Amino acid sequence: MTSLEIGFLLIGLLVGLVLFGMHIAYALLGVAFLGIWMIRGSLDLSFRMLELTAYSGISDYLFATIPLFVLMGLLVSVSNVGRDTFEVAEALLKRMLCGLGVATVAANTVFAAVTGVSIASAAVFTRVAVPEMTRHGYKASFSSGTVAGSSVLGMLIPPSLLLIIYGVLAEVSIGSMFIAGIVPGVMLALGFVAMLMALAGLAPRFVFADPKAAQERRAEAGIHLSLGEIIWKLVPIVLLIVLVLGGLYTGYFTPTEAGGIGAFGALLIAIGRRTLDRRRLWQVMKQTGTVSVSILLLLVAASFYSRMLSIAGLPNAIETLVVESGFGHWGFIFVYVLVVFLMGMILDSTSILLIVVPIAAPIAQGLGFDLFHFGIITVIAVEIGLLTPPFGISVFTVHNTLNDPGTSVESIFLATLPFIAVMLFVLGVIIAVPETATLFLR
Amino acid sequence: MSESSIQEPQQAEGEVIPPFGEAPVGFVLGTVTAVLSSVGTLWIGALMALIVADVIGRNFFDAPITGVAEIAGHSVVAIVFLQTAAAIMQGRLTRADFLFRRIAGRSESSAAAMESLFCLAGAVVFALIAWASWDKMIAAYLRAEFFGVQGVFTVPTWPFRAIIVGGSIVAALAALYRAIHRTPLPTGPEQ
Amino acid sequence: AQESITVNIGSSHPEQNIWVYAMKNTFQPTVDKILAEAGEYEIDWSEAYGGTLYKYTDTREAVQDGIVDVGMVGTVWEGSTMPLQNVTYFTPFATADHKMIIEIFDDLNVNQPDLAKSWEDSNMVPLSSLITDSYDVYATFPVNAMSDLQNRKLNAPGTSANWLQGTGATPVDGALTTYYTNIQTGVTEGTLSFASGILPTRVYEVAPELTRVGIGSMYFGELAANKDFFDGLPEPVQEAFREAGKATSKAHGEYVAELAAKAMDEMQAAGLTVHELSDAEKQKWVEGLPDIVQPWLDQTGDAGKAVLAAYFSALRERGATPLRNWDEGR
Ligand code: NA
Ligand code: NA
Repeated sequence: MTSLEIGFLLIGLLVGLVLFGMHIAYALLGVAFLGIWMIRGSLDLSFRMLELTAYSGISDYLFATIPLFVLMGLLVSVSNVGRDTFEVAEALLKRMLCGLGVATVAANTVFAAVTGVSIASAAVFTRVAVPEMTRHGYKASFSSGTVAGSSVLGMLIPPSLLLIIYGVLAEVSIGSMFIAGIVPGVMLALGFVAMLMALAGLAPRFVFADPKAAQERRAEAGIHLSLGEIIWKLVPIVLLIVLVLGGLYTGYFTPTEAGGIGAFGALLIAIGRRTLDRRRLWQVMKQTGTVSVSILLLLVAASFYSRMLSIAGLPNAIETLVVESGFGHWGFIFVYVLVVFLMGMILDSTSILLIVVPIAAPIAQGLGFDLFHFGIITVIAVEIGLLTPPFGISVFTVHNTLNDPGTSVESIFLATLPFIAVMLFVLGVIIAVPETATLFLR
Repeated sequence: MSESSIQEPQQAEGEVIPPFGEAPVGFVLGTVTAVLSSVGTLWIGALMALIVADVIGRNFFDAPITGVAEIAGHSVVAIVFLQTAAAIMQGRLTRADFLFRRIAGRSESSAAAMESLFCLAGAVVFALIAWASWDKMIAAYLRAEFFGVQGVFTVPTWPFRAIIVGGSIVAALAALYRAIHRTPLPTGPEQ
Repeated sequence: AQESITVNIGSSHPEQNIWVYAMKNTFQPTVDKILAEAGEYEIDWSEAYGGTLYKYTDTREAVQDGIVDVGMVGTVWEGSTMPLQNVTYFTPFATADHKMIIEIFDDLNVNQPDLAKSWEDSNMVPLSSLITDSYDVYATFPVNAMSDLQNRKLNAPGTSANWLQGTGATPVDGALTTYYTNIQTGVTEGTLSFASGILPTRVYEVAPELTRVGIGSMYFGELAANKDFFDGLPEPVQEAFREAGKATSKAHGEYVAELAAKAMDEMQAAGLTVHELSDAEKQKWVEGLPDIVQPWLDQTGDAGKAVLAAYFSALRERGATPLRNWDEGR
C-alpha cells in the first residue's frame, strides 16, 4: 500500500470509530499513532511524535486563550448580565412587530460579544426569554426555536471558541479571526430580525399561539425602564465588550491577554453584583476546567492526527485531486459546505472542525481562498449543525433547560427551520463576497 | 462533550466518588483524579492572575513580568494533564453518541461490549503517551533542562514532563476502570 | 543503475525563511548535482518544510530523534540543552559581519572539541552554520545618546533582553509577529532586531527611526543531519552532504546580505530614517552592560570557557575588534 492509500484508509477508520461513539480524543490519537507507524514503518517514530505532541505541541501560548475565555463566559452567565441585557432589549423593542423575538436576537447579539460558546447563550436565554415570550402570546415552540436559533450568534461574534479552534488548526491569527467574525455576525443577526418580522407579518400562526390576543398585548405597557435603569443594566456588558473587543481590535491585547483581562473583568462584575459566593465561584472554576480540558485534549489529539496526515502526504494529494477534477473554486466550496452540513447532522461542532480543517484549509488556500474568509464559511456551516436534527445540541439545550413536557424537541427543530434558511442565505452571501469577512483585516 | 457539557454552573455535576467500602478502587481513583483536577482548576485561576498582573505591571509600573507567554504556554500542559483523568473518570470526554444510543436501545450488551473496547483503546493510548514521555522526563531532570533564558528567568521543565507522565498513567488507569465499570452508559434518546 | 536513498528533510519554518531558503535552494540541488556526476546514488527527497511535522520549539528533537534526517536546528531555542552554541548572544558587540560568524562556526562546530562533542552527544552532524545579520534599534525615536533609552520600553525577547541591562530601557517579551501591534498600541516603543528579519513585519511603519548600533551578528543554529542516519550513509553520499553543506554556508551568507541590503532600500523608500550611534555613546552602552556572560559561564563551566576563548581568538584572527573583551580574565 502507498502512504496515500494508508492515509485514506485511516480517515475512513477514524470516521467509522467516531460515528460508532468512540471517544474522539482516543480515536484521533490511536489512529494517528497507527498511521505514523504504518507509513514510516517505525514504531519508534510514532512514540517520538506522540511525545512531541503531548509536550511542546500543547505548550502553546495561544491555547491558553481557551480556559480564559471559557471562564469569562461562565462568569458572565452567572452574573445576570444576560437577563439584564434581555430586559433592556425588551423595553426598547417590545412594540415592534415580533418585538420580543427581535429583542431575543438583539440580546443574544450583545451577549455573544462576551461569551465564547453558543450553549451558554442558549441556556441563559431559555430561562429569561421563553417565559416572557409565551406570556405575551408567542407559541412556546416558536419562542424556544428563536432562542436556539439566535444562540448560534455566540460562536460567530467574537470571542468564540470555534473561531479559536479554527485559528489553531488552520494556523492563522486568532485575533484577526475574531475581527473577521464581526461583520458576518451582525449580518446574521440582521437577517434573523428581518426573517422574524416577516414571519410575524405573513405567517402569524407560526409565531403566535393566538395572533389577535398577541396583537392587543403588544400595545399594553409591559416592562418599562427609565434611562438610568437602562444605563445601569448595560454598563457592565458594554465595559466588557469595550475592554475585550476594543483591546483585540486595536492590538492592545493579544487574544490570550484579552481572555485573561475579560475573565478578570467578568469576575469583578459578578462579585460586584453579589451573584458569586465562594461555593459558586469554585463551581464555575471547576466547570471551566471540565470544558477547557475536553477541548484542549481534542486539540492535542487533532494536532497529532494532522501530523500523520502530513506524513501521509494527504492534503497535497487531495489538493491535486480537487484541482484535476475540474471542480474549481466554486465546486470545491459547494461540496465542502455540503459535507460539513451533513456531518453537522450527527457530529458536534468541535469534532467536525478537528476532522475537516487540517485537510481542507491547505486545499482552500491552494484554490485561492483567503484563510480568514474560509474560516468564517467553515464556522457558519458548522454552526448550522447546532440546529439540524437528529443531533442539534442547541435545540437539546433549550429543550432540557426549558423542561416543559408541552414543548417537544420536534416542535423546536421545526421552529428553527427559518433560522437555518437565513444562515444558508447569509452563508451564500459571505461565500460570494469575501470582503464581508476580510473588510477590517489589516 | 465540549459543548454539550456547557450548562449553567449550578447544573454542573459534582464528582461522584463511591464510598471506600463499596468500591475501594473507585474510591481511590476517584479521589486521586479529583485532587489532580482541583490543582488544575486552581492553575487556571493563577494563569488569569498572572496575565492581569503582567498587563497592569507593563502599562502602569513599567514592570512587565518576563516570560509570561512561555509560562502561560507550559501552564496549558499542566492544566490538560492534571484534569484529563478526572474527565475520563466522570465520563466527560467528547464523543458522538448519536448512533451509540440507538445501538444501546436495541441491545444493551453489544453497546456495553463496544464501550469496554473504546475505553480499553483509551487506556492503551494514554499508556503510550506515558511510555513515550518517560525518557524525556528523566533526561530533563538529570540534565536540569529549563525554559527561559540563562540570567533572565529560567523554569525547570521536568515538573511539566512529570505531570504529563503522571497524568497519563492515572488517565490510563481511569480509562481501564471505565472499561470495567461502564455506568452510566449513554442510552435512550438524548437527554 | 543508480541506487536511490530516501532522505526526510524538513524545518519548522517555511521555505522562504532566511534559515530555510538555502536548504531547499542550495543544499538539496548541490547534493543532487554531486551525486549525479558520479552516477552511483540518487536521493529521493521527502520534504516537510514549514512546520507540518513539528514546530520551532522542537527543531533539535526533530533531528536528534530522527523525525527528519536532515533539518534546520535553531540552537537559539536550546539554551537549556545546547547552551555552548549560544555564546554569541552572551557576548554582544563582537562583530556585525555575519559572513565571518558563518565561517567561524563552520570551523568551530567541527574542530573545537567541546562544540563538536555537544553535536555528537545530541546525535547530530553539523553541516552548515545559520546566522542573523547585525541587531540594531528600530524605534519611534532616534537614539542619539544613551540617555534617549532611559525609561523606554523595547521588545527584546529571550537572550536579547540581556543587551538592554544597564541602559535604563525595559525589555518586553515578544516575537517578530507581535512587534508591529505592540509598538502601534504603545505597549512598546521599539524593538531590537535585524534587517533581514524585520522587513516582512513592516515594523518600520510604526517605528520609523532606525539607529545603527551594531549589537552584532548572531549564530542562530545549524543545518544538521541525524547522526545515526548520517553514519549509515555510503561514504560518497556523506561526502556529498559535507560538500553541499559548504555550498549552503556560502549561499546562506550571500542570501542574508542580499536580503538585508534589499530590506534597507525598501524600508528607507517607505520612510525609515537611519541614524548612527556615535562611537563614544556606543562605548557607554557596551561598558554599562553588566557581566552578562557570567551566568552563561556558570551554566557551561570549563567547556564554556574553552568555547568563549576559541570564539574570541577566531574573531581576532579574522581581523574583528570586539567592543568588549568578554573573554578577558576568564
Ligand atoms: Na461570542
Ligand atoms: Na445537527
